[in-house]
Amino acid sequence: MRIDRTKIFLISFAIIIATLIFFIPLTAAAEFSFRGNFGKGHSFTNYIWLLKQDGFIENLLITLQLGAIAGILNLLLMVPTAVITNIKFPRWRPVLDFICILPLIIPVVSLAVGAQVAMPEFLQNSQYELAFFFVIIALPFTYRTLDNALVSVELKTLVEASRNLGAGWFLTIVRVIFPSIRTGVIGAIFLSFALSLGEYTLTVLLHWTTFPTWTVIASQQNILGAIALSVFSLVGAVLLMIFISIFANKRNKRLNQQVEEEFA
Amino acid sequence: MNLDAQQSNRLSSKLELTDISRRFGAVVALDRFNLTVEPGELIALLGPSGCGKTTALRIIAGLESADSGKLEVNGIDYISKPANHRDMGMVFQSYSLFPNMTVQENIEYGLRVRKMEPAKRAKIVGEKLELVALGSKAKNFPHQLSGGQQQRVALARALAIEPTVLLLDEPLSALDAKVRTQIREEIRRIQLDLGITTIFVTHDQEEAMSIADRVGVMNQGNLEQIDKPIALYNKPTTPFVASFVGLANRIPAHVSEKGNVKVLGQKIPLSPFSSDIDGGKNVVALIRPESLHIVSSNETESTVGTVVFKSFLGPLTKLGVDIGEGLIVHLNELSKEVRKIEIGEKISIKIFAEEIMVESA
Repeated sequence: MRIDRTKIFLISFAIIIATLIFFIPLTAAAEFSFRGNFGKGHSFTNYIWLLKQDGFIENLLITLQLGAIAGILNLLLMVPTAVITNIKFPRWRPVLDFICILPLIIPVVSLAVGAQVAMPEFLQNSQYELAFFFVIIALPFTYRTLDNALVSVELKTLVEASRNLGAGWFLTIVRVIFPSIRTGVIGAIFLSFALSLGEYTLTVLLHWTTFPTWTVIASQQNILGAIALSVFSLVGAVLLMIFISIFANKRNKRLNQQVEEEFA
Repeated sequence: MNLDAQQSNRLSSKLELTDISRRFGAVVALDRFNLTVEPGELIALLGPSGCGKTTALRIIAGLESADSGKLEVNGIDYISKPANHRDMGMVFQSYSLFPNMTVQENIEYGLRVRKMEPAKRAKIVGEKLELVALGSKAKNFPHQLSGGQQQRVALARALAIEPTVLLLDEPLSALDAKVRTQIREEIRRIQLDLGITTIFVTHDQEEAMSIADRVGVMNQGNLEQIDKPIALYNKPTTPFVASFVGLANRIPAHVSEKGNVKVLGQKIPLSPFSSDIDGGKNVVALIRPESLHIVSSNETESTVGTVVFKSFLGPLTKLGVDIGEGLIVHLNELSKEVRKIEIGEKISIKIFAEEIMVESA
């Protein structure tokens, strides 16, 4: 009993410290972002300044679009690839693993130039080419997340059971595999989306402007505005994460409630 | 033809495998494998690990391809049909229930795939749930069920599609002993009720013998013998079957020119299935424990040995008797008849068999 209390105390202490480390700078930054001119008083001045800046909405929207496209492309590319590799070619998993780690190994400059040349011409002239670069950059994280999810379910027998019951490959992926690895898929989309929202180096190297690159330029004019931007970005990312996790758990909760009602 | 008759015809299919071969690299999993399963029959494929029994089942299901050979159901070629067009119900060792679906959703999955209308679907699901006595668990998820219940759901799911053949791949292996017996009996009851042609793969002899109409013993990709359980046990046609099915004592023996086997000082006729053994050779006789009995010390042609172990198995007691030269033979005797025999005691034993199966020494 004494050991349990000590454990609980230590765990609570660690949680409190971690929370303080996380929240004190954030609270301080949030407080700072609401300061008025010359640091006096509190108001929404910096956020209003932010909204009035040229390119704020445009760059935010294009970045969100690119993030969404990258997330969907990643999903379309990696779910079937990871599933087929796990079921049909398990021996090739280390090879795929290595290929997906390459974006972390290859310098961003080489990646930017190399992949740019490989792009079709109509994409080279469009800002939407960035979505494809974001897919490449997110590969190490999305593949790992999906692979972990796939390994945690008995994929081969689930697929065989589904096929044996008459389902084709498409139906098997949509009705059986996808729901079984739902959390992993949502995690992969979120990672891809979040990485796309924060990507800076590639965008600059390819001479495009997105929300992160615009933020750097805008923040050079107003230090309080720059902090307001940081708080805005962080709160936005946290809200997004909460939204995705609520979305992911919604169906499971509904089904569990049904079962609990049955037992009651 | 009414619906019941149609269903009955569909469930009672004739299955024929002809010269099916399958290699995995250098390993021969099936070597010109032949099997015919009559309509409504339950065949158990029995054999040691790696003998090819699961490969055969997976080829029938379409989950594995054959290198060569023919597979026919009711005379129709199935070998080139993909797994999802074969209409065969399979129950896997690891249950393989879809974790994101309730029991009801699992059972109706195959029916949804076939785009069956909801009312008819609900009726079939209800019937199958009743069949496996899980009516109250329809809304549960697989993780909320015991292993036995999950396997019953898997069985109901396989049966819901009214399969041409029911394939059971070691369905009881993951269950504990008591549940295993219970589910085994349920499988047999349902199979007999529906008259469905069934193939049951197992490495458990007791399971195979107790459930099947016929048992096929497999070894190294071949079907060594297929017969009724009692015939398989009493009249094995190959030394492998004799030693694999049931327990067999392996005792040095000699085959005379006249076709008799001299073993433990007794002369017993050679089994006709060992007729390829030439006379005048030293061989190994395969003798079942129940063919050896304790006799009085003045009995002719008896062998004296020392009891080295004694295991009480309820109505029977298993004895180990050292008959010299490091050879220990096993006997199964009625417990009430050997209760006074102690370890270390000298006893006389004798073979009571009409014929003896032997293999080369």
